[in-house]
Amino acid sequence: MSDARKKLFRLPWRTARQIRDDIDEELRFHIDMRVAGLISAGLTPDAARQQATREFGDLDDARRYIGAVDRDIEAAQRRSDFMNDLWHDIGYAIRKLRAAPMFTLAAITTLALGIGANTAIFSVVNSVLLKPFPFPQADHLVRIRFTQQGHGDAGTPMDLVDYRTRATSLVGVSVIEGTTANLTRDNSDAERVQGVRVNANWFTLLRIAPLAGRFFAEGEDQASAPQVAVISEQLWRRDFSGDKSVIGKTVRINSTPFTIIGVAPGDRRYPITVELWMTKRWAPNELSDQSRGARWLGVFARVKDGVDLAVADNEVEKISEAMEKQFPEMFRERRAHVVTIQDYLVGDIRKPLFIVLGAVTLVLLIACAHVANLMLVRTTAREGEMAVRTALGAGRGRLVRQLMTESVILSLVGAVTGLAVAKLAMHEMLGRAPQNLPLVGSASIDGTTLAVTAIVALLTGVIFGVLPALQVGKHDLATALRAGARGTRSRPATNRAKQAIVVAEVAVAVTLLTGAGLLLHSFAKLLSVDPGFRTEGVLSMKLLLPQRSYDSTAIRAFIRELEARTRALPGVKSIGMANFIPLDGGSENYVFGIRGRPAVRPSDQPSTEARKVTPDFFATMGMPVIEGRGITSTDQPGAPKVVVVNHAFLQAFFPKEDAIGKTIAIGWGSDSGGDARQIVGVVGDVHSFGLEGAPEPTVYAPIAQRPDQSISIVVRTEGPPATLAAPLRAVVRDLDRELPVYSVQTMEERVTGSVGRQRFYATLIAIFAAVALVLSAVGLYGVIAYTVSQRTHELGVRVALGATGDRIARMVIGEGLALTAVGIAIGAMASVLAGRLVSSLLFGVSALDPMTIGGVGVVLVSVAALASWIPARRAARVDPLVAMRGE
Amino acid sequence: MTAQPMDLLQGTLDVLVLRTLAWGTMHGYAVSRWIHQRTDGVLEIEDAPLYKSLHRLERAGFVSAEWGLSENNRRARYYSLTPAGRRQFATEESAWRRYAEAVFKVLEPT
Repeated sequence: MSDARKKLFRLPWRTARQIRDDIDEELRFHIDMRVAGLISAGLTPDAARQQATREFGDLDDARRYIGAVDRDIEAAQRRSDFMNDLWHDIGYAIRKLRAAPMFTLAAITTLALGIGANTAIFSVVNSVLLKPFPFPQADHLVRIRFTQQGHGDAGTPMDLVDYRTRATSLVGVSVIEGTTANLTRDNSDAERVQGVRVNANWFTLLRIAPLAGRFFAEGEDQASAPQVAVISEQLWRRDFSGDKSVIGKTVRINSTPFTIIGVAPGDRRYPITVELWMTKRWAPNELSDQSRGARWLGVFARVKDGVDLAVADNEVEKISEAMEKQFPEMFRERRAHVVTIQDYLVGDIRKPLFIVLGAVTLVLLIACAHVANLMLVRTTAREGEMAVRTALGAGRGRLVRQLMTESVILSLVGAVTGLAVAKLAMHEMLGRAPQNLPLVGSASIDGTTLAVTAIVALLTGVIFGVLPALQVGKHDLATALRAGARGTRSRPATNRAKQAIVVAEVAVAVTLLTGAGLLLHSFAKLLSVDPGFRTEGVLSMKLLLPQRSYDSTAIRAFIRELEARTRALPGVKSIGMANFIPLDGGSENYVFGIRGRPAVRPSDQPSTEARKVTPDFFATMGMPVIEGRGITSTDQPGAPKVVVVNHAFLQAFFPKEDAIGKTIAIGWGSDSGGDARQIVGVVGDVHSFGLEGAPEPTVYAPIAQRPDQSISIVVRTEGPPATLAAPLRAVVRDLDRELPVYSVQTMEERVTGSVGRQRFYATLIAIFAAVALVLSAVGLYGVIAYTVSQRTHELGVRVALGATGDRIARMVIGEGLALTAVGIAIGAMASVLAGRLVSSLLFGVSALDPMTIGGVGVVLVSVAALASWIPARRAARVDPLVAMRGE
Repeated sequence: MTAQPMDLLQGTLDVLVLRTLAWGTMHGYAVSRWIHQRTDGVLEIEDAPLYKSLHRLERAGFVSAEWGLSENNRRARYYSLTPAGRRQFATEESAWRRYAEAVFKVLEPT
């Protein structure tokens, strides 16, 4: 058979049995022919058969051998047939898709959006949550987290000693303390960098190697050792152009000379934003029982290789119980647990990220539904074509395969386009992501993401392709052929499928809209929280006065001079200073005692937030003085020591009595018994750490009486506050060239920044919900419009029988709304579940917020009414004569 | 036929089959008879290896097979050379000729 013929008429595939029968037939033919030949040569039939068999040789062996060979041939044939069909299907699919550019464009755009959004979000989830943390055996790298009512999870200097000596399942316990550093290289302006102080074993704990130079050696954290520093790869490349000769060079950090000994690899930094590592050196009394109440250090450790985390967790918990026995008051119910470094870092963004991933998956589902609907309409229109192919011998399986090929091609093209969409989306998204989302900035489209995208694309193609494909070939062939290429009338089954898809779209859209609505409503609630200070027209910036060159007197002088020079600037209404200002991330917390109350054990004392402020600070920030007075310029070192408390402090500690005139002793000095100060006034509360939490009890002392190295400046301006940034910087530079100004932000920006995460999540979900809404509206429109066009004849009859246009329009809209109502009902049920999922992200809004749910209903019903109204208008204008003649 | 039939290497048989089919399409029995007659029975070839060879060559793509009707109206499997088979035969034939010449050069008295 010629090759050309073979291509046209493929031999049917043979089973193993058929192969065996064929071989037997071929060999039998041979023997029979030989026997006949020998008989005609004069042999008896018996002798002839004997000789023929002898001449043939080992018949069974030949059968086996040929059977094996033929099965190989058959398998190869099947493979090549499959590939031929596939190529044929692909070529055919591409021709068909090109012949319908509008359909193809709509489908690919939808899929590209769906797949692109998924790829972008998945790449973030992948790099933040799925990829292992970039340290050897990172799953054994843990933070020891303390839990105690009224305290954060930080540890004390003595925790280091306790857990180093007692925990046998841990190696290399180290503390870490965040700090900001003014870094000065020879003849350059000071630069403010993020730094940490750690024990000398820090890098041994991480098990990483330096990029250049070395890391801290044992003993380099002793007070007597020379000061050394490790810099990050980023700092090294930026400030020292990656020159290895930097090792051994001296820089000044907060005016103290440090020798640079090593460079830490940039992708293996911990904490991630740090650029400078110094050693933690203890003050003589810091490693004693006196410091047990001072909780501010991060405590990290490595669980010994081969030891289970649960074992280590159990052990540190036991130790914390033992510590409580020793210090029952101070460590009441204080427990220690280990949590892996990755969980510690991303633990609180895991859930929101998975919620976003879930939302974007819903978007993809909607996209699938949408394309499935488009395909359904198309397959109905192509029934004539399918009937012709069936008549020419294509089986139903073959047609289904053809349609699935088209679907998968669509989704693959959609995926490739989607990758471009993802790239763009990630650029936009990462640019807007708040700074405090760890690891998000490192997200990129890597191999894993590409593989997942490919799988998602294939699945997508199958999901949206299978329903339309199954509709094929259910049709009566003769009817379809008669209807010809025009396509047949829609059948109830197909219509039901389309309606089901639209209902599903609406349901998913309702779910997404509810989620988005809840987050947006919660976000609005958050923004409407009064921060307690003026946000407009206030500029803020921060400074760090190095201890080496600024003693108390120098600090006071600096503050006086800065105030005077700033007031002289045009556009400045007032200037205030404090060691920390609200929402700048800084905090100081001390225990205190109230004079005149029964003495409590030192470890049982209450604690309060404490700030040091200048006289004009409250006025500049717009914090009202509720009782007594604020800080004044007379509160100088020699004058009586005073303190102003906030309203929350009053309520917490003086709920029934007058606080003014009472004396409290704050435990912030070295003097035992605390720094006794008289309460002279009460100011309004501010949200220091974020808009969600309740204001903390806080005391404000005059900074003149308690000078501080950390200075935050707030300036109230007449015009736009940002315009004063440059003049203020100049003022600071004139005072001290080595002082870098950092964190220059208006108070408005600080508030906005503090809700960055909430804004980020709400924006993402809102975008997804908008896409879902548009897709389902278009889907609804498509179905209604299609039904109207299918029912032109029926509508014509109705008009002829006296139905008015209005009535027809109402009928059509009613159908659209009925579908929507079913979708809303299903979606509402799903929303209850979705609401429960997002409830932990909500602020001041219940997961069953009636306003949100009602709003979503109204939006969807209006959109559905609009989507049905357009085809309804067409239906109302049906001319009965034309409609009925057209039949 | 007094002399013992010579042993045939598998590759040799394949060349003979290819040569036979170069004449035209034929079924396995015809191939067997043809080789038998051409060699005057010197190469006493059993039919089993012959059929193995035919199917092996089909798997290699050198021959194609198709069911047809024989001269006595029975279903028979007809083999023909494919273009690839034709090329293969040309290659093997020249190799064989060179081989045989070399052997003769040694055997011939000088």
